[in-house]
Amino acid sequence: MIGVVRFLGTNCDQDIWKAVESSGKTPSWLWYQDQFNYKDYESIIIPGGFSYGDYVRTGALAAKTPVMDSVREAAKYGVPIMGICNGFQILCESGLLPGVLVKNNNLRFIDKWVELKGENSCESWGGKMQSCNLPIAHGEGCFFTHEEELKQIEDQQQVWLRYKENPNGSLNDIAGVMNKEKNVAGLMPHPERALFDWMGGSDGAKFF
Amino acid sequence: MVQNSFKADPKYLKTYRISEDEYQMICKLLGREPEGLEWALFSALWSEHCSYKSSKVHLRKFYSKNDIVVDAEGENAGVIHLGQGEQVSFKMESHNHPSFISPHQGAATGVGGILRDIFTMGARPIALGNYLCFGEPKADRMSLIVDGVVRGIADYGNCVGVPMITGQTNFHSSYNGNVLVNAFALGYFGKEDQVYSSKAHGTGNYVVYVGAKTGKDGVHGASMASESFDEDSEDKKPTVQIGDPFYEKLLIEGCLEVMKLDLVEAIQDMGAAGLTSSSFEMSDGGGVGLHLHLDKVPARDSDITPEEILLSESQERMLLICKPENFAKISEVFDKWDLDAAVIGEVVDEKEITLFWKGEKQLKIDPSVLVENAPRYNRSYDEIPSKSVQDLKILDSDLKDGLNKIYSHIEGGSKNWIYQQYDQRVGARTAKDCSSSIGVVSLPETGRALSVVLGCRPYVMRMHPGLGGADAVIYPSLELAVKGFKSLAVTDCLNFGNPEKPELMSEFVAAVESMSEACKAIDAPVISGNVSLYNETLEKNVTSTPSTGIVGIKDDIQNIPSDKFQQNGDVAFVLRLPQVKTEGCYKEICGEQPKYSGELNNKELSEFVTGLKEIVLKNIITTSKVSGNFGLAFTLSKMCMSGMGLKVDNQEVFSSQGLFGESLYEVVLCVSKNQKEGFLQLASELKSKLNQLEIYELGTTGGSNLEINSQSVPVDHLFKEYNQSWEKNFEVLA
Repeated sequence: MIGVVRFLGTNCDQDIWKAVESSGKTPSWLWYQDQFNYKDYESIIIPGGFSYGDYVRTGALAAKTPVMDSVREAAKYGVPIMGICNGFQILCESGLLPGVLVKNNNLRFIDKWVELKGENSCESWGGKMQSCNLPIAHGEGCFFTHEEELKQIEDQQQVWLRYKENPNGSLNDIAGVMNKEKNVAGLMPHPERALFDWMGGSDGAKFF
Repeated sequence: MVQNSFKADPKYLKTYRISEDEYQMICKLLGREPEGLEWALFSALWSEHCSYKSSKVHLRKFYSKNDIVVDAEGENAGVIHLGQGEQVSFKMESHNHPSFISPHQGAATGVGGILRDIFTMGARPIALGNYLCFGEPKADRMSLIVDGVVRGIADYGNCVGVPMITGQTNFHSSYNGNVLVNAFALGYFGKEDQVYSSKAHGTGNYVVYVGAKTGKDGVHGASMASESFDEDSEDKKPTVQIGDPFYEKLLIEGCLEVMKLDLVEAIQDMGAAGLTSSSFEMSDGGGVGLHLHLDKVPARDSDITPEEILLSESQERMLLICKPENFAKISEVFDKWDLDAAVIGEVVDEKEITLFWKGEKQLKIDPSVLVENAPRYNRSYDEIPSKSVQDLKILDSDLKDGLNKIYSHIEGGSKNWIYQQYDQRVGARTAKDCSSSIGVVSLPETGRALSVVLGCRPYVMRMHPGLGGADAVIYPSLELAVKGFKSLAVTDCLNFGNPEKPELMSEFVAAVESMSEACKAIDAPVISGNVSLYNETLEKNVTSTPSTGIVGIKDDIQNIPSDKFQQNGDVAFVLRLPQVKTEGCYKEICGEQPKYSGELNNKELSEFVTGLKEIVLKNIITTSKVSGNFGLAFTLSKMCMSGMGLKVDNQEVFSSQGLFGESLYEVVLCVSKNQKEGFLQLASELKSKLNQLEIYELGTTGGSNLEINSQSVPVDHLFKEYNQSWEKNFEVLA
């Protein structure tokens, strides 16, 4: 069973549900107010959207909800967790992933298809990625951290995906990172929006 | 003639924007002068915005019914059947005045309002569109307005999570002092979902207020939106509402959940004129009365007055009617979504609305006095004679110079700066986004392709409102046809100037009548719409702009021809049904008013639309595009934006209209070489039904240049010019 977390303002929840189903697995909702037992889930996905309207800071309020206590617990026990877009922001705010996502360097929302290259393999979420085309859609997707942590992320091979052409000013062109243990991963692009050719590309399917 | 037997205080008339004649009508209906809250009620419900008093007699002319239209008269939006148990609801609405006064909030709340119209019907919103008309880039405040409007739409739509799949943006000096911001939304009903009504019923049922709290924003908004602008427009800011898309998202989920649980008897959003219009319309539509306790309305400010509660246009609020035994469950659902749900009254037998404040009766009035007896004006108008001329003077130019001129103009360049700020794929259903000529989403339960395209080309309206009105329907339906879609139904947003001026009322009538005839010809009824009048500033009117949204369907989401050349060696053809020739948009950007020659024939156009769709459904067309603004050479240059060129070897196709003149209508279709004979067979079958049809073989795709007869332009150059246009025109927004 794959847990799909929903907060007030999550808006890619149904999309993730469909993506999980089309990969042949069984999705199950996790409501923000509820805690859960990590043993019941083979993995957990935090979908994108505007949890709490992006008030305070993107992901900041969601990170303080009861369900995230369980997610932190699950992370500790090695359950694979993936955060997409706002989900990535929430994982950073929760302290499960390094760095933070700040406003795009053009200070505007950007929706476009981008080319990515897989840097280090994330076994839980598709393994080694070669290059892939996925859409981004975010206002705050610029990956940022201090020099020391950036070096650590690189040295410990935590960079998951890089933009071939940096759309938003992210440090080191980072589009996705993992924790040190590599069971928690976050990315700004939306693989669930690239499952079939009619969507404009199907490279997203291998993430699920 | 009404006798002026009652004497009105001119100060009241001005505050409440009620005319002297209307004041006399009110006194006659009431048998006395209006008192207290009644002023506010008449002001709101008799405003142009709420009552459609100048347009209603003409709106009735619209072709509006066929067997796919679900009866939803007087409801928030129209609904059509798609077969296989699926239905959609869609509508378009203007937010022109608020967007000019306060671009960010005005545009944002326009998106919020149209979404509520859709989910009030019980449909989940799955697509948005936007039709924008701005002034010249150098006009006063224009960069700020463009920036604010686009950010407003983006902030709202992106946050609620409904994808923007299509749009159209026009620029012209007539919009310098009054921009147009029209928002389109479409919602989906699956097999299990029911269509909801706004008509109140059931004596003893509760009237429940749900959503955000009421504040003082937007008081008198409806009557503001029904007035022309003057020098003091800036002072009207407090009449613009403030939106919160996060609340809207919660409201969508909460409302759809209580509807799915079958806890709701009737539901209506609080839009223009807020609680007043929603409660009066629910009561009048249902033929029942309501008792409303205004002090029970959840309020943001403790010092809010009953009048402000009645007129507030605070956003993200709904009014619903439920059985008393269902209220606890409704309350639980809204609590889950962190929203207020409060009982503010009940349904009563007698068709009267009674308003209470802290237990004391404030007012009792028959809603039909305000709703049904609102004034109806048949304002004077004339028929506008044809302006067709015998000889056109088409400006010609060298291919490269002409294209450079068009691309450096804001109308000819890329609008990607705008669309890139919208989430076009949330929902994971988008097959064609704003970069395509039509938007396409997959239908949730059957996977069929549903398309949306917006229409109305203001420069055609400037040539003749009758021609422009028909074009607002035919042109988008051709755009659908060349992608294999059948046009199903239409929504419109009629943006016009001051209806009290006969020459403008004449344009309104001419446009409505020709739109209606075109809709009938292609059997796509007008199922919903909105009218925005008084789009004028300091006596200067906008171009009359009846924008449209057309929804189409195709069984298969694969095999949609691309807008741009896809494969080397394809053969490109033009199919032209030249009913009208025009000097084109090119002439307009050269500073002259273009003229046209000929008249449209709807019957033949309908045949053309259907015939093209049938050809595309044979799945042999690789690339297709309707040749529109700026003519054939420009259209071909845009088709090269995939990076692939075209070599045209055909003088004849340009002989009557030059490179940049236009034909209503012509389309470019490409097939692979081995399908050429099959295609010609299909084209000649169409010609056997349409005598006038002209078929031209242009040449072959490939290479890195657009070559037209002996002239050649590198595709790279076109690409660069197209993409640099925006920053050349809007330096501060680059």
